[in-house]
Parts: sequence; structure tokens; C-alpha cells
Amino acid sequence: MVTLAEAIERARSQDRTVLTEIESKQVLAAAGIPVAAARLAATADDAAKAAAEVGFPVVLKIVSPDVTHKSDVGGVKVGLADEAAVRAAFAEIVALVKAAQPKARIEGVAVQHMARPGTEVIVGMSKDPQFGPVLMFGLGGIFVEVLKDVTFRIVPLEPRDAQQMIAEIKGHAILDGVRGGEPADTAALADLLLKLSAFVEANPQVEELDLNPVFAYKDGVIAVDARIVIAE
Amino acid sequence: MTSPDLTQRLDRAFNPKTVAVVGDKRAMGYMWLNAMKTFTGKLYSVQIDPAEIPGIEALEVPNYPSLSDIPDDIDYVLCAVPRPVAARIVADCAKKKVGSVALFTSGFAETETEEGIEAQRVVTKIARENDLLLIGPNCMGLYNRRLGVRHSPDQEAGDPGNVGFISQSGTHCINFALVGAQHGIKCSKTVSIGNVVILDTPDYIDYLAQDAETEVIAMYIEGVKDGPRLLASLKAAAKRKPVVVWRGGTSTAGSRAVYSHTASLAAAPDVWAAAMRQASVIETTDLDETIDAVKALVYCKPAKGHRMGLLAMTGGQSVVITDAFEREGMEVPLLTAASYEKLAAFFNIIGGSYRNPLDAGGTIGMGFVPGNLQKLFEILDEDENVDAIAMEVSGTFIARRLRDNPAMMDGLIDMLAGHRDRSPKPFLAITHPSHVEDVMAEVRRKLLARNVAAFTSFRSAARALSRATAYWAARDGGA
Repeated sequence: MVTLAEAIERARSQDRTVLTEIESKQVLAAAGIPVAAARLAATADDAAKAAAEVGFPVVLKIVSPDVTHKSDVGGVKVGLADEAAVRAAFAEIVALVKAAQPKARIEGVAVQHMARPGTEVIVGMSKDPQFGPVLMFGLGGIFVEVLKDVTFRIVPLEPRDAQQMIAEIKGHAILDGVRGGEPADTAALADLLLKLSAFVEANPQVEELDLNPVFAYKDGVIAVDARIVIAE
Repeated sequence: MTSPDLTQRLDRAFNPKTVAVVGDKRAMGYMWLNAMKTFTGKLYSVQIDPAEIPGIEALEVPNYPSLSDIPDDIDYVLCAVPRPVAARIVADCAKKKVGSVALFTSGFAETETEEGIEAQRVVTKIARENDLLLIGPNCMGLYNRRLGVRHSPDQEAGDPGNVGFISQSGTHCINFALVGAQHGIKCSKTVSIGNVVILDTPDYIDYLAQDAETEVIAMYIEGVKDGPRLLASLKAAAKRKPVVVWRGGTSTAGSRAVYSHTASLAAAPDVWAAAMRQASVIETTDLDETIDAVKALVYCKPAKGHRMGLLAMTGGQSVVITDAFEREGMEVPLLTAASYEKLAAFFNIIGGSYRNPLDAGGTIGMGFVPGNLQKLFEILDEDENVDAIAMEVSGTFIARRLRDNPAMMDGLIDMLAGHRDRSPKPFLAITHPSHVEDVMAEVRRKLLARNVAAFTSFRSAARALSRATAYWAARDGGA
């Protein structure tokens, strides 16, 4: 387990202000926030072993402080069902990233259990010059990109604030489950917002935070990707 | 949270026994000394210009060449000297240990000039080093209606009020009191806060929140210095009494204007909206909305829900009043079977209907068949589907008759006031503008004098009630 202080120290020693996905998730998991655990694998053998541990199918993602848009450089492989596929994917990812960004420092790949798809939501935190940390909540994908269907609250949140955030987005009906879709566990979403508020309040060094996407199921939620930006 | 010590000191400032006006002059029509004419305590003037002194003496205000010469403790100083002299007067205030000083003097950071910023730094430093309560600079200071401390000679004075107002603009501060008075709103204490160098908005919010005389707090805000502190103060205040926040500078060009007005930064709209929602305050965008919301909070009993019983005089108005209330988030439900049974017994359905809205002109003779109007009120009062009642008081058909027959007008007003007092449900009278506006204005004034919430349009009434209802619901632990 990595503490935020350790992750920050490590990032600063490498001249980074962005924590890696693995670091971000470890720090958030320690704060009680449900994340799809990711393990770092430095070799194809490590990756195969980690995949067996987290459970198939798995996703592999490049871990490099120099690569910000992982899929653009071929740094992501999904739906890997067995060890052979994992080994092959490891080699392919490393080769593609090296070809695209020869100078990128590659630490290995993140091996992550492929979460069952759920209703996609996003949760983020940014800092307002006057009000300080502000949490954002919205539906993921097209809803946030095109419709900007998001809502904000200033940290710290009270339970009522978290409930209102979930209730006041325009696409709220989607969380209830439409066309036979699975309803979202809004109590678990509210809990995630409150835990994140507490995490942000306790850690002023965190400048920015993104959980995108978070999958919401009828019985729980899980942050599939996570990114923490720290103060310089 | 404001310290008990600051509360006590603000109490002294807001309730002065002695006031000194420094630097009033003929060129301003002695506006400050004239404004303070109603002050119940002892008023002093400080002016060294020999040309000004006869004019001040003519107002029968004792004048002294400096604050230190006044043989009395001073609770509140209004300083109207030019900028180059301001620092000296602030230093005199510190030496005299006055309760507070409001700097009407402007030309500070709001000018965005080096000299202005430097002048502000100097007065701030003097005030801070001497622990002096400085209001402003670039402000109109305090208004206490009960004590007759005013910042406009047109403000009412003498009797107490119950609405506090905090304003980053002097004009809006004065207008809220003046225009509000035309709508039955009596201010307890108001303050024009200017550039907020020592005392900031949250200090005033905390003070009015604990002030027993103030039952509703309203404010005009442009910018925010310390967001979390403002949010905490608003939240704490709104738990005790309703708070209405009117924010200026929400448009792009408006936010640019904010800086040159009070040298403060406007918050991002989404973040601001979040803060207001979290604080459970009512948000408004102009003076009219602010006055309407305060009116609903002062004169309407808290509604238990959003369901309206609506009364209009004609078919067209019954449609439009219904649209207006629904558009503002209220509901217009069907009445209970028991109500329909009672209505069927006497309601005139020729040219009328009673499903809700009640198109009742024919039944109540445009308001002049008090017996039937009384019956309609009683039915809506008893109807469990109805949380609040609003009625159109039509100018089109009745204004001339009311003017010709004052007894008829008084009878109608008695009837509405009687209903308002008896009914546990909020009641709104909508006296929309008419071709005989003087009569409608008189009806509004008379209704407000009898504690009936009289509004000038369906939309303003609907919006104000919707906001007040949301406030009470949030305070009672709902969403």
C-alpha cells in the first residue's frame, strides 16, 4: 500500500505532478474509495501472474510518466482472456509505445481486472480560486462531452449535498435504469462523493482529481480509471 | 465565525448613541447631515472649512474642527472627506477610539490606479494597526430605521423594521430600503460595505444572523474574497432565518464591471450556483426579484408544499395565472371531491369554472360579493390538496369602481386581510398593473399595510412563493 505522501514524494522526485493510474488508485483505495485495482507488471511474466491474481478478463495499460493519452499510442489492450493473450499484449504494447514515443520512460504495464460494464458516471475535483476544492458529478461519455450534464458542490459536502448532486443532473432518469437497464446504486454513489470530499479536504496537496469512468451497478460502484494531479 | 467581541462592536456601530459626520459640505447639499436629521441620539459635525460652518450651524448641528475636540465618545463616524484627507481622518478615528467609521470617500482600489491602490493600503494599515472597525471605503455606511441613522434623506425612520440588507453597492443598498418600503418591506439594519478592507461580507452576515430584530437577511454581492468563509456564514445564517442573495456581475461584461466597481473578483457561475444551493439561500438576479422574495418571506406563512389553489376573475386570466405558477415549479392540482360538491352548490358556471383554477369573476361579482368570495376561501382552506392560495385582484374590471366607491375598496381589503389572518395557508394577492395604475397601487399599499402579500404580476408572485417554499422545505430538512 502506498500513502499519498509517498506517492507525492516519488512523483516529485521524477518531476511529475500527475500520479500514475496505479498510484492514484492505491491512494484512493486506502481512503475507502472503490477502485478497480491495478497492479504494475514490469515483464510479460509478471503481467501473466498479475492477471491470474486479479482475474480474467483483464485490461493492460502502459505505465509511463511521459504518456498521457495511452490509447493514442497503442498503450491499451482490452478483453484479454488468458495468460497467452496477456503475454502477447504486453509485448505489443511496449513495442507500439516505443515506436510512437521513443523517449518515453516505460515502467511496465498496469494489469487490471476488466470491470463488468455499468452505467458510466464521472466524478472529478478541481480548485476554484475563490471557493477552493469543488467536486463535479455527471453521467459519463456523451452526456458529459456533448451535453455538459454535470453538477458541482464545494468541499466539504454534507450527505444532503451528495444526494442533491445525483438527483439534479438532467439525465437523472438514466440512473434509475431506462429501457430495462440496470438501475444505479445511488446510495453507493453518494457514499463515493462523500468519501472523495473527505479525501480532498484532508489532502490539500491534491490539485485535481478525475475518476472517469466510474461504473455504477445496482449494488455498488467502482472507479475504473483514476488520475490525481498534485501541487507543484 | 465572528467573535463575540466583534458582534458587540458591530452592535455598537449599528445602534449608535452618538454619530459624527466628517466633511459634509454645501456642494453635496449637506446630504449626510440631512440624512441624519432623524437620528435619535447626539449628532456632531466635523468641518474645518470656515465657508461651510454657517451652513452646518443653520442645520443646528454642533460643529467641531476635529474629532478629538468633540466632548463625547463617538459610536459611528461617517467620513465624507476627499481622498487625500481620508487617511488623516481614519487616524483621528483610531486616536479617538470611535466605535466605527464608514468611509464614503472613494477613489481607492476600485479605480484600478496605483494612487488608488496605495491610498487603500494606507487607510487599511492604519485601521488594522489600531483595531479600528472600518466600513468601506467607497461606501454609504449604515442605515438603522428605528434609530434614524440613514444614508438617504428619503429613507423612512422611527419605527422598527425586520429585514437586514448587506450591499456591495451603495445605490442598491439605498434602493432596497426605498423601493422595498413601497412594497411593505421595513429594514431593520442595512449596510453598504464598499471595498471591504477590514470588515468583510461574512462579518455582516454573522452579525445580522444573530440580530434579534432582523428576521430576514437579503444582500447584494458582486465578488467574493474568501469563498469558504462566505459559504460557512451563509449556511449558518440560513439555518436561523431566510437569506436572499442577489448577485451582480453574472454576465461576462457584468463580471468585468464588477472589478472596476468594488475591486473584487466574480466567482464562476457553476461554482456560485453550487455554493448558494449548499447554503440553502434564495438566489435572485435583480432588485425586483429580491424585493418579491423578501415580501413572500415576510408576509406569507410558510407553505407545507407546492400545491396551489388559484382564483382568477376571467377565463383568460385563470389560464395565465396557472401557467405562471406551474412554470415556477408550483403545482395546480384538482381539488377534493368534497370541495367540488360544495362548489357545485353555488358556483356560477356560466362564463366560469371551478376545477382549479377557479374562474370566479361571475361567482364573486369581480370581488364584490363578499359572501361568495368568503365561501371560496373557506373551501380552498379546507381542501387538503391545496397548500397555498393566490388570487387575481383585477384592475381591468374593478379599478374604476373601487376608486368611485372607497367603502367598497375597504370592504374588499378587509375581506382579504381577514382571510390572510385566519388561514394557516400562505395567501398572495396579485394586483397586476392596470389602466388605472394609481388605484392598483393604492390597493397594493393598503393590502401590504394589512400584512397581505400583494404582488404586481403572476410571475413575480409565483416565483417569490416558489423560492420561499423551497427555503422553508430545505430548512425543515427536505431537499
